[in-house]
Amino acid sequence: MEDLKLQEQPASQEAPAPVAEMPPLLTVSPSPHARQGITTSHLMRDVIIALLPATIWGIYIYGLRAALVILFSVLSCVVSELLFQILLKRTVTISDCSAILTGLLLGLNLPPNVPFYVPIVGGMFAIIVVKQLFGGIGKNIMNPALAARVFLMLCWTNQMTGFPKEYTRLWWSADAVTSATPLASLKVGALAENFNLLDLFLGRTGGCIGEISVLMLLIGGAYLLVRRVISWQIPVAYLGVVALLTFLFPAGGADRLPYMVASLCSGGLILGAFFMATDYVTSPVTNGGRLLFGLGCGLLTFFIRRFGGYPEGVSFSILIMNTLVWYLDMAFKPHVYGIQRKKKGEKKA
Amino acid sequence: MKKYTFRGGTHLREHKDTAGKQTERIPEPKTVSIPLSQHIGAPAQPVVSVGDAVKVGQVIGEVPTGLGCPVHASISGTVKQIVTRYNAMGAQIQNIVIENDFLHTLHESMVPYPKSPEETTCEEFIEVVRRAGISGLGGATFPTYAKLQSAVGKADRIIINCAECEPYITANHRLLVERGETVISGMELVMHALNLPEGIIAIEDNKPDAIAYMESRLEKRRQLGRPANIRVCVMKTKYPQGDERQIIYALFGKEVPAGKLPADVGCLILNAETASAISRAFWRGIPLVSRIVTVTGDCVREPKNVRAPLGTSARDVIEFCGGLTQTPKKMVSGGPMMGFAQWDPDMPVTKSTSALLLFSADHDKANTIHTSCIHCGKCVSHCPMHLMPNYLAQYAKAGDTERAQKMNVMSCVECGTCSYNCPAGVEIVQYIRVAKNAIRAAAKRLK
Repeated sequence: MEDLKLQEQPASQEAPAPVAEMPPLLTVSPSPHARQGITTSHLMRDVIIALLPATIWGIYIYGLRAALVILFSVLSCVVSELLFQILLKRTVTISDCSAILTGLLLGLNLPPNVPFYVPIVGGMFAIIVVKQLFGGIGKNIMNPALAARVFLMLCWTNQMTGFPKEYTRLWWSADAVTSATPLASLKVGALAENFNLLDLFLGRTGGCIGEISVLMLLIGGAYLLVRRVISWQIPVAYLGVVALLTFLFPAGGADRLPYMVASLCSGGLILGAFFMATDYVTSPVTNGGRLLFGLGCGLLTFFIRRFGGYPEGVSFSILIMNTLVWYLDMAFKPHVYGIQRKKKGEKKA
Repeated sequence: MKKYTFRGGTHLREHKDTAGKQTERIPEPKTVSIPLSQHIGAPAQPVVSVGDAVKVGQVIGEVPTGLGCPVHASISGTVKQIVTRYNAMGAQIQNIVIENDFLHTLHESMVPYPKSPEETTCEEFIEVVRRAGISGLGGATFPTYAKLQSAVGKADRIIINCAECEPYITANHRLLVERGETVISGMELVMHALNLPEGIIAIEDNKPDAIAYMESRLEKRRQLGRPANIRVCVMKTKYPQGDERQIIYALFGKEVPAGKLPADVGCLILNAETASAISRAFWRGIPLVSRIVTVTGDCVREPKNVRAPLGTSARDVIEFCGGLTQTPKKMVSGGPMMGFAQWDPDMPVTKSTSALLLFSADHDKANTIHTSCIHCGKCVSHCPMHLMPNYLAQYAKAGDTERAQKMNVMSCVECGTCSYNCPAGVEIVQYIRVAKNAIRAAAKRLK
């Protein structure tokens, strides 16, 4: 009876606080002893979440085959990273979610009717050649997904540039009637005959799985901006320059405003500006550098689209600007507190 | 109300749970172990020997020449031993261990300064501060008398630093709320002695009660007909607002040139508790023998602010705060951003111990994730000195001190904002310290 009472006591009263002893020695480390707690994998997860609306839209438009392409791409990236790191006895870093993100981005950059070996080879190329051979996360000089996309374009040009018509819901087979993309028509200034702007904006059009719906991409982009995962400089500068140039110089005598809107809403521009150009590893760290980075991307995109051999220039422009990040960082060093600003004449001396 | 702030920095999770609790005086411990070096400069030499009887406030260590502060007995009793102990940085420091006789006999020297502030010359005043062993109580422990000396003729205003931007610490906050008048009185003394026309009390806006109280004290002062040359400036709560350079920039938009001191731009900055200690030393003759310590962290049962005699062991302080609820992994003396982790649970409270934080292994988990830099630029946008910490850390890691120096690594104030914000867990400021130390060592070799 007494035993029972004793056992019941703690429950009825306030639970006694646990008592702990001081260890004989404590851990010593240099300050700071606090961390904000947001880690790389949190950031990567946020970008993945931001891409979900566009992903779901792509699957809605193109059916389950689009999901399979993305799935193969993600699996290829993750498995490549895992195997590479195990074989080379390096720390396995797949838990940081960056390989998943690369795979997702690559998948979204592919047409839904590519043969399945295309995302698999692309994922391997992105992770092994572009990322791991340069030293893994944080060390690559180009965006892995974009570099892989360009690699695939060069290897399988036909498969990579034939887009099925919208609402062609495919399953396992890839037989589909391909249609002209808005971009090809834009190049020659043909506009209204082929598509209307609202369809372009909402994503009722053909293209790569993740590129088609501007609305869904903007929702994701806004999420990243609100969560402060990305800063506004790169997307605003990038889209601003493209908007300005297409407004001033529409091709083939097309109307300025519709031409500008169509240029912004077609191809991989929105996806590139919000999700690819803002990739931390391959973009500058200062705000000035980011503005110029966006500006450069915009200029190159405009020139490639207008004068280049390919209808689309987003991937190339971002990759070219990727290689200049170091110089942009050095050119836009912030003014250090307490260091006298050099006068222009002094700088060269 | 205008709120002053600076560019960069970051808002930290504050954890200031002890802000509403009255400061408690800790019962005198059985023994104290007083380190002879609690300040920047030469360590003090013992002037008592084993077996001597000492009284509260008696000088037990003197610095004969050069920069340094005398050290006083914080309790009365007998000198039991003089031992050499390692401090947290691994330096060997002489400690004087005093056994308490619990009589609390005051030393004869503890009398108010015989002259009035008006009759006291600047040199005499600085000597009072030196003899009281006052060093900067914000944590840097630069001898205050030397700071005053360097400001003579240069400074034209005094700023009382009560930003208290470090998380957890509320020692200055409580001081202002409970004894704000001593801070003002200390300010007045310094302003009078150094002939400074202007005084500013800088308080972060997360301490509205302290702001209101200080405003009311200043209002009362004006009603008494004293000159209205002291004002409260409200700072936006952002780390590291308490850094002298950031206070000056926030208040006046001026930068302190690299390698120069705040005095060079006309500012004398003292921590609030330092000002209070000056007032106690002058008006009551009490040297620096105790200080306010914030005791908190996720392992402490009853977090609170205590006034502890210098030399009280951390164990005694924690016991007074209800003991531990879980086994700590780290004990930090000072704030979590710039404080020093201690290895010794019996580490004595010194002039630099503004807080004792006890963190469990669980709390410390975030500090154990270390991956590669992902170049996100968070360290760059948050750096209060506008450096590029990511590159500095890379150069430091590669041993390239030359490039680090070119990118002004020596301007780093080691506030730790970069490491705090780093999503990859790169130990940015830690690497930067390595580079700075290597550069300093190389410069020394050249000499």
